[in-house]
Amino acid sequence: MTGLAVDDAAWASTWRPRAVGDKLLLTLGLVLCALVLPVWPGSLLVGLTAVGLALGPARVPARVFGRAVRLPLAFVAVGAVTAVVQVSTDGIGWAPDAAATGGALVGHALAGGAAVMLLATTTPVSDLLPALRRARVPAAVVEVASMIYRLLFVLLISMRTIREAQTSRLGYSTARRSYRSSGLLAAAVLTRSWDRARRLQGGLAGRGMTTDLRVLPEVLPSSRSFLAGTVLGLTVLCGLTVVLS
Amino acid sequence: MHIAEGFLPPAHAIGWTIAAAPFVVHGARAVVKEVRENPESTLLLGAAGAFTFVLSAIKLPSVTGSSSHPTGTGVGAILFRPPVMALLGTVVLLFQALLLAHGGLTTLGANAFSMAVVGPWAGYGTYRLARRASGNLLVGVFAGMMIADLSTYVTTSLQLALAFPDAESGFLGAAVKFLGVFAVTQVPLAVAEGFLGVLLFRVLTVNARPELERLGVLRPQPTDEATR
Repeated sequence: MTGLAVDDAAWASTWRPRAVGDKLLLTLGLVLCALVLPVWPGSLLVGLTAVGLALGPARVPARVFGRAVRLPLAFVAVGAVTAVVQVSTDGIGWAPDAAATGGALVGHALAGGAAVMLLATTTPVSDLLPALRRARVPAAVVEVASMIYRLLFVLLISMRTIREAQTSRLGYSTARRSYRSSGLLAAAVLTRSWDRARRLQGGLAGRGMTTDLRVLPEVLPSSRSFLAGTVLGLTVLCGLTVVLS
Repeated sequence: MHIAEGFLPPAHAIGWTIAAAPFVVHGARAVVKEVRENPESTLLLGAAGAFTFVLSAIKLPSVTGSSSHPTGTGVGAILFRPPVMALLGTVVLLFQALLLAHGGLTTLGANAFSMAVVGPWAGYGTYRLARRASGNLLVGVFAGMMIADLSTYVTTSLQLALAFPDAESGFLGAAVKFLGVFAVTQVPLAVAEGFLGVLLFRVLTVNARPELERLGVLRPQPTDEATR
């Protein structure tokens, strides 16, 4: 358990041993379809495909997937309503095509969000980072990103522990105390992050680290049938959208 | 305030990615240079990025009765400078999109431009000006962190207004709409983030003075030997 539900789901998913390239082709293909295809029926088909694959073959817990897709809904709803409200000299009213525009915005966002979550709940970030290296992102940048990923779980645990201790001492009982406790919490987490980094550096220097932190990459074999299924599925999805729209 | 996946039209998503790219590449070059000269910086930069991510998990009480989380870009810019934050902020946004479902992949460029470029630069510039004018670190930190948050919210609102101009009043009308709607949560949050910064730096100046001196936030205190 890492403390982040999406990351836990990614490690436990039955698609975790699949090649990252295979999953990227499928999920980024779906993200692209959600963005460029007409909302009816494109977004609906993309959304259904992403949810079906996540809850079916990838075995992602429905509660985790549903919660992750629901999270941006507040922004999407407020943004979509604001976009279709019309401001004129007569006052405020709905734009002529308000329902269609608002529906399209929500549809694209939900379908795209589901496709991104299909990637996030089946592929741990530590599997994605070597793919960045293969995409010619400088080693130092990938190394820093990898350190951020590893350290953030340590800091999240520290933060939760400190916050629990503060809460049990009534540190969040009033707004004034909440601000003070939040300031102390941020300072404690920052100094702990520096301390962790320094101790890690000391330990690695003692083991002879001079350049980068080299670890053996896990080789995940690509599946021809998965790739063929992805290409066929995306083609059918686009074709159906063109025919039905 | 992250723009959700799929919310921006394709042309805008591509345009903002192109606009953010030079700053992120510049930040990546700064990081590569720093790591080449001091390999141990990898861990400190990793800690800085992880702290920015974790800071977004701290809930602040808001005047609207709800709670919001700080963006963390202001504190990052003051401690580690805006070029480095352009890269660290983008990496953190990518992780937030994948691990927390905040933001998205096609909107990463737009979110990076507002949160990892405009926020840190506006916040850092304000911090330097306010600190120089007042001669006080905490005044600079308050102003810097507040403006970093405010400028991020203004940029995001303008990005949305450009994407969805009002049918009658065009871009300006849409900008007023988005700025007005998000002001309810974002303006109190910006003030709250300023206060959080003051509390944070008050603790750091006591407990982590050597680190602040090494980062150039505080001038080194003269030692007894030097004053003798």
